[in-house]
Amino acid sequence: MRIESLRLQLLCWLLLPLAGLVALNVWTSGRQARATADLVTDRTLDASVRAIAEDVRLDRGVIDATIPPVALEMFDTGHRDRVFYRVDTAEGRLLTGYPDLPRPKATPKEGVPLHFSAPYRDQHLRLAALQYPVVGAHDGERVTVVVGVTLAGHAAMVRELWVGGFSQQLVLLAAAGLLVLVGLRQGLAPLLRLRDTVMNKGRDDLAPIPDAAVQSELRPLVAALNTYMARVEGQMAAQRRFVANAAHQLRTPLALLATQVTYARRTPDAAEREEALSGVQESTRRLARLASQLLTLSRSEPGSRRPRDEEIDLSASARLVLEGLVDLAIERGIDLALDADAPVLTRGDGAMTREAIVNLVENALRYTPAGGSVAVSVRAEDDWAVLAVEDSGPGIPPQERDKVWERFYRVPGTPGEGSGIGLSIVREVVDGAGGMLSLGTAEAGGLKVEMRLPAASTAGRLEDGIRGA
Amino acid sequence: MRLLLVEDNLELAGWLAKILRQDNYVVDVFHDGEEADHALAVAAYDLVILDLTLPKINGMQLLRRIRSRKDTVPVIILTANASLDGRVAGLDEGADDYLAKPFDIAELEARIRVQLRRSARRPDPVISCGALAFDTNTRLFALSGTPLALTPREHAVLEMLLMKSGQTVSKAQLSQSIFGLDDLADPSAIEIYVHRVRKKLEGSDVRIVTLRGLGYLLQHDAH
Repeated sequence: MRIESLRLQLLCWLLLPLAGLVALNVWTSGRQARATADLVTDRTLDASVRAIAEDVRLDRGVIDATIPPVALEMFDTGHRDRVFYRVDTAEGRLLTGYPDLPRPKATPKEGVPLHFSAPYRDQHLRLAALQYPVVGAHDGERVTVVVGVTLAGHAAMVRELWVGGFSQQLVLLAAAGLLVLVGLRQGLAPLLRLRDTVMNKGRDDLAPIPDAAVQSELRPLVAALNTYMARVEGQMAAQRRFVANAAHQLRTPLALLATQVTYARRTPDAAEREEALSGVQESTRRLARLASQLLTLSRSEPGSRRPRDEEIDLSASARLVLEGLVDLAIERGIDLALDADAPVLTRGDGAMTREAIVNLVENALRYTPAGGSVAVSVRAEDDWAVLAVEDSGPGIPPQERDKVWERFYRVPGTPGEGSGIGLSIVREVVDGAGGMLSLGTAEAGGLKVEMRLPAASTAGRLEDGIRGA
Repeated sequence: MRLLLVEDNLELAGWLAKILRQDNYVVDVFHDGEEADHALAVAAYDLVILDLTLPKINGMQLLRRIRSRKDTVPVIILTANASLDGRVAGLDEGADDYLAKPFDIAELEARIRVQLRRSARRPDPVISCGALAFDTNTRLFALSGTPLALTPREHAVLEMLLMKSGQTVSKAQLSQSIFGLDDLADPSAIEIYVHRVRKKLEGSDVRIVTLRGLGYLLQHDAH
């Protein structure tokens, strides 16, 4: 199971090892408590056997083993332990005490107590045995003293030593857990605040989040978030500008349409009504064209649509476009000519490229007076596929030439119906294809627009180069 | 009533002018700010309809020039910029009204009438002189309750005289209000139009008096 909560993760990482350490500590402290209790019990037994042994004396040739009360009282620790003893001569004759009390398997060295454990009367005993010379005896008479004690006091001591330590450890562990929680709460607070800040932001609020309030580790995250939001904001602003401009562009033709319709409805004269209605038709056609141009422009926006990468014959595209515009040329009384004999290949999005050519030629047709000419030529030049559109119109003054590629820009004083969109479509398409655009003066005196697109072979090489790199 | 329409879209300007002429206004149309400025300097207009995006001098600059000349001619701005800021800026610059494209023709006409009434200080949409009444809303004359058929020029003459009823109107003033800049202004033609109108008013209690050397006067015979 994956733990999603950062708090739980940190808690686990901190508390599990800590609990392990505490367990180890408890185990060792248990051992230590037992060892301490053993030592204390053994020392008491030592003192007891010595007290008894030192009190054994030779009285008129008879060994007298009287048990001094202190030797037994020292075991009185309030745990109702029972004490057993026996005193034997070196030959093994019982002088006093319990005859069935176990004796050590080995003979203890003189003066050094020997400790051992043994069961006795259904109880476990800890015992000490001591061989000791009898006071007043000259022939080296010795006695062996054995004292045993039940383990209630011992167990109580172990419990006391161990459980006390154990509960301390538990308190420590609990305190550590609590501190971790508090620390996490404090540490995570900026992160949670950041979350709230992001979540509570208004739908359109893309203002950057201040990074001063978060820890230095989180600043890159905030910076990334801010960068992302700035990018989104930029896109949204571009979108808003586009929509506002588009709406603006639609307003005047719509006003014209409304005016024509009103006139047609009001005029009593049939011929005038007919004129107004054909005006309505023309306006509708133009609005439809404007709408499709706006759509094309929004599609040629960077990132809005994945452009196709296909081989395009610029000559064939130009022919196709011009065939569609012949009617317009005839209607306007303009001589439309195409000079494109051989195929000229480039790579890119065929539909968008044709759209660009449509806009270039339409533009030329629109601004060339009746009786003029528009000539389109396609040729290969070095690594470029070049399409040129020349007209005999008024041209564009040099100081305006940079601006005409901007969206919705119209050369001041230009008559007619242009929306300022056509050339910006051309620019978007050519930019997207890695091409170039230039404006000049045509031989016929009008405008000459040159669209240069990378030749197909070059485009292929370029791409191979990028792939190989 | 003579209107100045400044709009750079040739077709919109043309059709709008047609409609306004049907309404019996005399309309001059210009497509750039500079020409409109010249026209305003030489001719007296009763109202200006102004687009803001104009070549040479834009609408805002033109409006500023008009107001800096202390010209109080009513100005209705007609523009594709429908933003609040645009409207506020236009009104602050001295426009009297603001209409965003696309607009309803009927609304434009109503707003034109409002401005004309206001500048003539006549809140009553019906202006009358004796049996002669002019409804500024329908822009039609009636004599003793029956509609009076007039040609556009006759209409312009009578409207001018009625607006200034009780005052002398010079031939030059009449000429200004009935001839657009495109018309061949022939001062002697004024006499013909006045004569025709006078005939149409015959038999009523209203008559046009000629004051030699001064002009004309629309008079209501009290008896």
